[in-house]
Amino acid sequence: MMVPVRCFTCGNVVGEHWEEFKHRTREAEDPEDPAEVLDELGVERHCCRRMLVSHKDLVDIVAPYQ
Amino acid sequence: MEDYEVQFVDRSERSARFVVRPITPAFANGIRRAMIADVPTFSIDTVRFIENSSVMFDEQIGLRLGLVPLTTPPGEFERGDEVTLSLDVEGPETAYSGDLVSSDELVQPADENIPIIDLKEEQRLELEADAVLDVGKEHAKHQGGVAVSYRHLQAVEVVGDAGEFDDEEPEILRGVIEEQAADAAVETGGYEPENGQLVPTEAFEHDLTNRYPGKDVEVTDIDGAFVFDVETDGSFSVDELVVEAIGTIEDRATELKESIQL
Repeated sequence: MMVPVRCFTCGNVVGEHWEEFKHRTREAEDPEDPAEVLDELGVERHCCRRMLVSHKDLVDIVAPYQ
Repeated sequence: MEDYEVQFVDRSERSARFVVRPITPAFANGIRRAMIADVPTFSIDTVRFIENSSVMFDEQIGLRLGLVPLTTPPGEFERGDEVTLSLDVEGPETAYSGDLVSSDELVQPADENIPIIDLKEEQRLELEADAVLDVGKEHAKHQGGVAVSYRHLQAVEVVGDAGEFDDEEPEILRGVIEEQAADAAVETGGYEPENGQLVPTEAFEHDLTNRYPGKDVEVTDIDGAFVFDVETDGSFSVDELVVEAIGTIEDRATELKESIQL
C-alpha cells in the first residue's frame, strides 16, 4: 500500500527515497533510468533496490472503499 | 591492554569501511554482533491513536512508526527511558516522519521524508507515541547498525607471468587488498602503486587483471587483519556506533571479571 519504511532484508531506510525515485523515473517529463537514479540516491545493495523498483502505491485504489 | 591499528578506507557520517589489526576472527565477530544487537537506539514502541480515519489500520501505522529511525545521542539516556512524540496531520496531505513532533530536542526523526500514510480529503491522523530506548536483541527496530559485516584484508602475490597464449579471463576479487606487489601493478582509479597501500577492489573494477596486467597472481588472506563495513540507520554516526559497541564488550568483560573473582 505505502512504500515500506525499511528494506526487508538489510534494514536500510529506503522509504525516504521513494518520492524522489517515483518522480524522477515515472512522473518527470523525460523519465530517467531507474538504475542511475538509485545509484545517485545511494541505494546500492540489490536488496534495497528491489524495494523501490517493485513497489506500487495502492492508497489511491483503496481509498474509495473506506 | 593491547593496541589496535585502525585505518580508514572510506569514512562518512552514515557509512564507513576500515581495517583493524591485529584481532582474532572471534573478536571481529564479537564487534560485529555488538554493533547489531547491543547498541541501544530509540524507537517508537507504544502508540495512542486519537483519530485515525486513514485507509490503514492503527496497527499498520504503529508498525511503520516503529521503523522510523530516531536520533539517539550516546550517553544521554539510560536503557528503558521514554520520549513522547506526537503527530497531527489532516488530509489531503501525506503524513511524513518529519511531521513527528518530539518532546525532547535530542530525539528527532533521523530522516524527514519517510511517508507514513497518504491522507485523502476528510481523513485525519492524530496520535501520541512513546519511543523507548532499547537494544537490537530485544527487537530489530532498535538496531542502530545496518548491514554490518567484516572480511579478511587480502594480499595479492605475483607468482609469475601469465602464459602468452592464455585466455584473457577476468580474476574477480571483492573487498580491500593491501598492495604488496607494487612493481607489477599499474595505477587504477587514482591509486598509485605503493607497497602497504590499501586499495578497495572498486578501484580496478574488482578485476585483478586490470591492476596486474599480464601477471599470474595468487590471493591470500592476511592473518589478523579485518576490513569492517559499517552503516548506520541515522540514529548516530558510524564513529559513535563503533565506540559504543566496543564499550558494551568492555562492560561485559569487566562484569565477568568481577563476578568470578574470589
